[in-house]
Amino acid sequence: MSSVALPKVSARRRRTDKVMRGTLLAATLLALVPLVLVIYYLLKQGLGAINGNFFTQDPTGSFFGSVGGVRSAILGSLEIVLLATVISVPIGIGVALYLTEYGNDSRFASVIRYFVDVMTGVPSIVFGLFIYITLVLAHTGGNFTGWKGSIALALLMLPIVIRAAEVVLLLVPASLREAALALGAPRWRVITRVVLPTSASGLITGALLAVARAMGETAPLLFTTAGAAGLTFSLSQQMNAMPLQIYNDILSPRQVVVQQAWGLGLTLVAIVLILNVIARAISRRSRVG
Amino acid sequence: MNPPDTTSKEHTDMSTARDPSARAEPMIDASEASVSVERRRGHGIKLQGLNAYYGKQHAVKNVDITFPANEVTAIIGPSGSGKSTVVRCINRMHEEIPAARAEGSVTLDELDVYAPGVDLTAVRRMIGMVFQKPNPFPTMSIFDNVAAGLRLTGTRSDNLRERVHRSLRSVGLWGEVKNRLNEPGIGLSGGQQQRLCIARAVAVEPEVILMDEPCSALDPIATLRVEELIAELKSRYTIVIVTHNMQQAARVADSTVFMLDGEVVEHAPTNEIFTRPKDERTERYVTGKFG
Repeated sequence: MSSVALPKVSARRRRTDKVMRGTLLAATLLALVPLVLVIYYLLKQGLGAINGNFFTQDPTGSFFGSVGGVRSAILGSLEIVLLATVISVPIGIGVALYLTEYGNDSRFASVIRYFVDVMTGVPSIVFGLFIYITLVLAHTGGNFTGWKGSIALALLMLPIVIRAAEVVLLLVPASLREAALALGAPRWRVITRVVLPTSASGLITGALLAVARAMGETAPLLFTTAGAAGLTFSLSQQMNAMPLQIYNDILSPRQVVVQQAWGLGLTLVAIVLILNVIARAISRRSRVG
Repeated sequence: MNPPDTTSKEHTDMSTARDPSARAEPMIDASEASVSVERRRGHGIKLQGLNAYYGKQHAVKNVDITFPANEVTAIIGPSGSGKSTVVRCINRMHEEIPAARAEGSVTLDELDVYAPGVDLTAVRRMIGMVFQKPNPFPTMSIFDNVAAGLRLTGTRSDNLRERVHRSLRSVGLWGEVKNRLNEPGIGLSGGQQQRLCIARAVAVEPEVILMDEPCSALDPIATLRVEELIAELKSRYTIVIVTHNMQQAARVADSTVFMLDGEVVEHAPTNEIFTRPKDERTERYVTGKFG
């Protein structure tokens, strides 16, 4: 009778294993500390600011009396980001379709991919400055306006949408494109009837993640939309937006106004969280990937 | 079946010799087939001096083959012998692959498929294709999958429902799916999916159906059903089937082409290829000595 004998694991190896595991766990915990603290302070400081007037009144901007609420900031943000989405998502998906359906491995396509990557890394304030120089200083349709903020945000969203959409479109099996082409379908019909429906949920997820990112950006709005206390639905005027009001409020010497900034910060995080949850829910129902 | 006699091993001679006789050959006797659908005269396909490349790689070398109308022609050969490429050249799907190109002539009846100015989509509508892996459209229902060919080509059809139902009947899928036409096509079993894909190809009423290893992803029973279907379909269509399975070629094909390294080694009536091959390489392949 023969038995297989495995060598014993040495004490040194067991010790190294323990030390490494401990180190990695410590690194993970350390990374969690700021995350937990951010959420803790947001809740602690922010919940107190949310009262009956918080969502129903506009900020007064005055140093005395009532501070008002944040209604104009929330509605302004939603409007500016909506316009940015309407601009960037169709263009972004169009670019991604070009890259996956027509460009393939061509030189031009790889140049575009490179620029998209570079765009992703451009600091958001640069997009704000770019619009400031080209549209605000030129007084194109007014000085500081909501739609200029939308364009700055759209520039920021564009590379995110392109990248996300390209990844999703590449997940559509080539066999489906072949099946449609072999039936005698022109390429545009293959795209509209097969590629887009198959990847729809993934494309929506990608777009929502870009929206969530744009929602919280302050810098592109600073020099383009500039902020205003009152409520306006006109994108051709100065508008209030959540990040802008947080920025203004936190600089205030009045404790209640600073408190309001926390409340709005909490609201913003909640909105972004909801967008992410929706995006995840949609992508889970995806037909590809 | 009365395939033309081929005495020459030289395939260029062979195909020219085959061509007139193939056209003159009468259609199979109507009593032979157990088909409910009316028979229809299909059109033959003729390849002349076909060369295909993937970049610099010369995958198909100067191939001449005639696929007679209303017959099943099988293409056999080891992996990488260019079987699939030949088939993909017939409906011009080969050129969809980046850097791939084809030269030579492919004629459907009198029509040169590679003539300048030929509408690619029209060619593909006339020459349907069934792929190795069943590929129904995942976003579409069973009904929509069969209707896809008509809708994707913008074909106006007043009797869409009827055409879809007829296509499903002709692939023997009607009884299995008639109560769930609105359920997704990917909910079917592999064999059913493949027959759904054949129904999709049939629905556009092509002249020719190309099948690229249609049974290699199916179990033996599903394979048998598809083979029976092929035998029925040939009364209406010209069929070219690429297969790795020599028994399958022997079962379904009227004539068989043996390819090796991108060249046609032998094209003869199926029973001759398997019983009295003229080329030594064919003999070695069909007896399992290599490949």
